[in-house]
Amino acid sequence: MRRAARQRLEIGAMLAPSVLLLVLFVLLPLCIVAAYSFALRDSYGAVLPGFTLQNYADLFQSVYLLVFVNSLELAASTTILCLLIGYPVAYFIAFKAGRWAPALLLLLLIPFWINFLIRISAWVVLLGRGGLINQGMLWTGLIDAPVGMLGTYGATLVGMVYAFLPLTVFPIYAALQPIDRKLIEAGADLGAGPAETFFRVTLPLSLPGVLAAALFVFVPSMGVFAIPVLLGGGKDIILGNLIVQLFLEFRNIPLGAAVSMLLLALAGVGILLYMRALRWVERMQ
Amino acid sequence: MQDNSPAQPAVDLRGVVKRFGTMTAVDHLDLTIRSGEFFTMLGASGCGKTTTLRLIAGFELPTEGQILISGQDVSDIPAYQRPVHTVFQSYALFPHLTILDNVAFPLRVRRLPRAEQRARAMAALEMVQMGRYGDRKPSQLSGGQQQRVALARALVNEPTVLLLDEPLGALDLKLRKEMQLELKDMQRRLGITFVFVTHDQEEALTLSDRIALMQGGRIVQLDTPANLYNAPQSLYAAEFIGETNLIPARMVSADHGSSVVEALGQTYRAEGTTASAGAAVTLALRPERVRREPAGTGPVGELVEIDFIGTDLRLTYRMADGSKVIVRQQNSGGIPPAIGERMPLGFETDSLRIFTS
Repeated sequence: MRRAARQRLEIGAMLAPSVLLLVLFVLLPLCIVAAYSFALRDSYGAVLPGFTLQNYADLFQSVYLLVFVNSLELAASTTILCLLIGYPVAYFIAFKAGRWAPALLLLLLIPFWINFLIRISAWVVLLGRGGLINQGMLWTGLIDAPVGMLGTYGATLVGMVYAFLPLTVFPIYAALQPIDRKLIEAGADLGAGPAETFFRVTLPLSLPGVLAAALFVFVPSMGVFAIPVLLGGGKDIILGNLIVQLFLEFRNIPLGAAVSMLLLALAGVGILLYMRALRWVERMQ
Repeated sequence: MQDNSPAQPAVDLRGVVKRFGTMTAVDHLDLTIRSGEFFTMLGASGCGKTTTLRLIAGFELPTEGQILISGQDVSDIPAYQRPVHTVFQSYALFPHLTILDNVAFPLRVRRLPRAEQRARAMAALEMVQMGRYGDRKPSQLSGGQQQRVALARALVNEPTVLLLDEPLGALDLKLRKEMQLELKDMQRRLGITFVFVTHDQEEALTLSDRIALMQGGRIVQLDTPANLYNAPQSLYAAEFIGETNLIPARMVSADHGSSVVEALGQTYRAEGTTASAGAAVTLALRPERVRREPAGTGPVGELVEIDFIGTDLRLTYRMADGSKVIVRQQNSGGIPPAIGERMPLGFETDSLRIFTS
């Protein structure tokens, strides 16, 4: 008994610092945001104590509904593009790269050492009228005059895919790498060509990684605000930059807090869907 | 034997070489596997037996030479188009498919009608007594059960040749013996050519019609189990297959088929390599061909070790020159000899073979 109590105390003591950190810097701010989302404000933007559901009711205005649709659409496009590009990359590293695999994985990590905003700013330079891409196309005679790429939806999408691609490669790689190579040989041995072996054996076995990758991209991409502003010219407003605008420009902190809570709820739904799908895939295996 | 089997060999390897970088795994191999036989490639790890099997399956392509299956040159044909199926050592069952779907896999790939896929897969499962497990997943089966499923999956498509890569290696001894009998029985019933790879000489002797003993990417001896055991053509074969007494000897007179050697202070007539008179050679004989002869005139040994095997007694004698001779005699239930006994040993001369050391 005393031994068990002592052990519990030790475990508690070891967990205390991280629990304290989480409470102070995650749970507490979250509670504050939640509290703000029910608060009132005066016409100068100051937050007044009180309780109202008006902020949430305001979210149903068509301006904001459009933002939700935009956000979901951008997140879905980003996710699909990332999976379509990331899967072959992960496949190559896991199956074909051999001894170069660790080096390639490291290359994927290197961009993370550079500040996110600086990397996105680099795309501003690349995509600009005098940027490398336009100059290259002019030089090869592909175009006669510089093309305006910045400030378009395409530019936003390029930035989004660029930012989230490594996050898709890693979980898919992690799912592909441990697949027993004998299973792929067995597929061929039993008469299935390379494509059929891929769709009947490799792809189903890597689905948990694909699901994780989808989650890693879809959920955070709804909250991004720098990319649509810097590359998309702020024309397409998504949840991320809506929150920034409400807090900093419109000084409507309660409404911004309500949008934040909505974003949190969407993330929760995303995670629930992921867990559902994962259980389905695992039952299949 | 099947010397009068159809002229068309099941598998024909012609001058096959396989190199991995600077390493030669298979070295100018010529090998003809007859249709319908149980053929075993036997050897220590790294002897090239598994690589040869993978070459036949198509997982590896030969660096040089030709591979023919049923007379058709398949040297450049990928694995999925070859009429052979493999039973893998690790079974390689698809973890995401049920047992029935695993077995139906090669039929599904061929786009057979669903009902036929199901019926044939079920029949194959019944054949290996796994009919009740169709709905399970591979992870829910024991090793022995997975082995049976792997066998059913490889046989369901009725391949010309079935390749088996140490399929019993992961099973415990009792199950292993059981599966050996079943494999042999199944091969006889189906009449499919089995190409079996193992490092277990006992397994090879039990199962095979013919055995290719391999070393360093080459075949050391290709023979029936009885010939391989009774008439090994090299010291390596004599040592690898079964237990063998190797006695240092000296050539007295060389003659084809019947040379005279001197060993343990006696002279013996024996078959084997002809070396020039006076040369140091090795005399090989099986422990069960040595007899304790209390009234004999053979070399005298002192009993230093008794191993009780069950059906047999394994007796180790130290001879006058310090070499050891092992005697295997049937356990007839009497009082076993005592350590320290001195006993003249008689060698059955027709089992003696001479090898150059």
